[in-house]
Amino acid sequence: MDKKAIFFLLLLPLFMLFTRCAPPLPKSQLHFGILAAQRDLWDEAIFRWKKAAQLEPDSSSAHNNLAVAYEKKGLWEEAGKEYEIALELKPKNEYIQANYEKFKQRMEEGNKDEDDANKDKKKK
Amino acid sequence: MRMMRTKIKKRNSLILLLGLLFFLSCGTGEHVRLRIEMPRKAPINLGDFEEIAITNFLVKEEAKDFDLNKELTEYFAVEFGQKVKNKISSTEVALQNEEVFQDITFWQKVSPDKKGTLLFTGSLEYTEEVRKAIKSASKRRFEEPFPEESRIEERRFYSLSLHLYLIDAQSGDALYKRTFKESKAYKNPNQTSYFAFYDMMLNVRDKLFRQILGEEQIQERYLIK
Repeated sequence: MDKKAIFFLLLLPLFMLFTRCAPPLPKSQLHFGILAAQRDLWDEAIFRWKKAAQLEPDSSSAHNNLAVAYEKKGLWEEAGKEYEIALELKPKNEYIQANYEKFKQRMEEGNKDEDDANKDKKKK
Repeated sequence: MRMMRTKIKKRNSLILLLGLLFFLSCGTGEHVRLRIEMPRKAPINLGDFEEIAITNFLVKEEAKDFDLNKELTEYFAVEFGQKVKNKISSTEVALQNEEVFQDITFWQKVSPDKKGTLLFTGSLEYTEEVRKAIKSASKRRFEEPFPEESRIEERRFYSLSLHLYLIDAQSGDALYKRTFKESKAYKNPNQTSYFAFYDMMLNVRDKLFRQILGEEQIQERYLIK
C-alpha cells in the first residue's frame, strides 16, 4: 500500500472523530447530562437536559431523561408530563415505554393509600 | 521471503488499527441503564402535623403469654420517635369494634383541643397454631445400618394481621389505612410467640415506614443518548 494512502486513511477516522462524529450542541448537552446523572449530580443533569430540549424541542431523549431526573427529585407531576411528551414524540421507543410503566406503577402504589382514604370519605 | 512476511504483518496490523479507529470514532450505544435510588410518593405529609398520638389498639384475639396492646404501642412509640421529627404521645381510646375507625365524629371527639395532631391507631389479630404431619422415611437404594423411620414432625405457625390507620384528629378523616398480613413458621417447638411477634413486626415496620415516609428504593431507568 502506498505510504501516502495509508497516512490519509489514518487521518480520516481521526478527522471524523473530531468533526463529523462530534455530537451537535443538543446532543452534547444530552451527553453531558447523562455524565452528570451518572455522578449523582441531578440538578446539573436537569439543567443540561432542559437546554437540550430548548435547542431541540422534538428530542424524545431529552424529555425522557428530564422525566427520570424529575422522578428522582420527587417532582411527580413534572415527571409524568415529560414522559408523556417523550412518548408522544416516540411512541414505540421501548426504553421510554419501560420507564413510563415503572413510573406509573410506583405512582399507583403511592396513590392507593390516598384512594382508600378518599373512598372512605365518599362512603360517609 | 522474510521481508514479504513482515510486510503482510504490518499491513494486517494497519487494517486492524484503522478498523478500531473507525469503531471508536462513531460507535455509540443508544441508551444508558442506571440504577437510581428513587423516592416514593408519600401518601401523607407528616410535616403538616405537630404531634403523632399513638392510641391503644383493638385486639381481636389476645396472645397467651404477653400483653399485645402494651407491646404494640410501646414498639410504635419507639419506632416513630426514631424515624420522624414530630412529637410522639400516647392516648387511650375506647375501641369497641372495627367500624369505629370509619366514624369521623368519634375521632373528632378524641382530642378536640389538639390541632395538628395525627392519631395512629388500628386493630390486630395474632394467632398461633401447631401443625403436625407424618414425615415418611425416604426410600434409599442401598441398605443402611440405621434406617430412618417415619415420624411425626411439628411446626409452629404464627400469623399477624394488622389494620393500621393514621387519622387527622381535627377532621376525623383517615388519611392513611393499610392492612399488613404476616405469617411465620418455626421448626423449633420451643419458639415463643413473643419472639415470633417481634420477628413479624420487623417486616411490618419496614413496609409501613417505607410507605408513609416515602423512603427511597432502588429502581432501574433508561437514559437515552
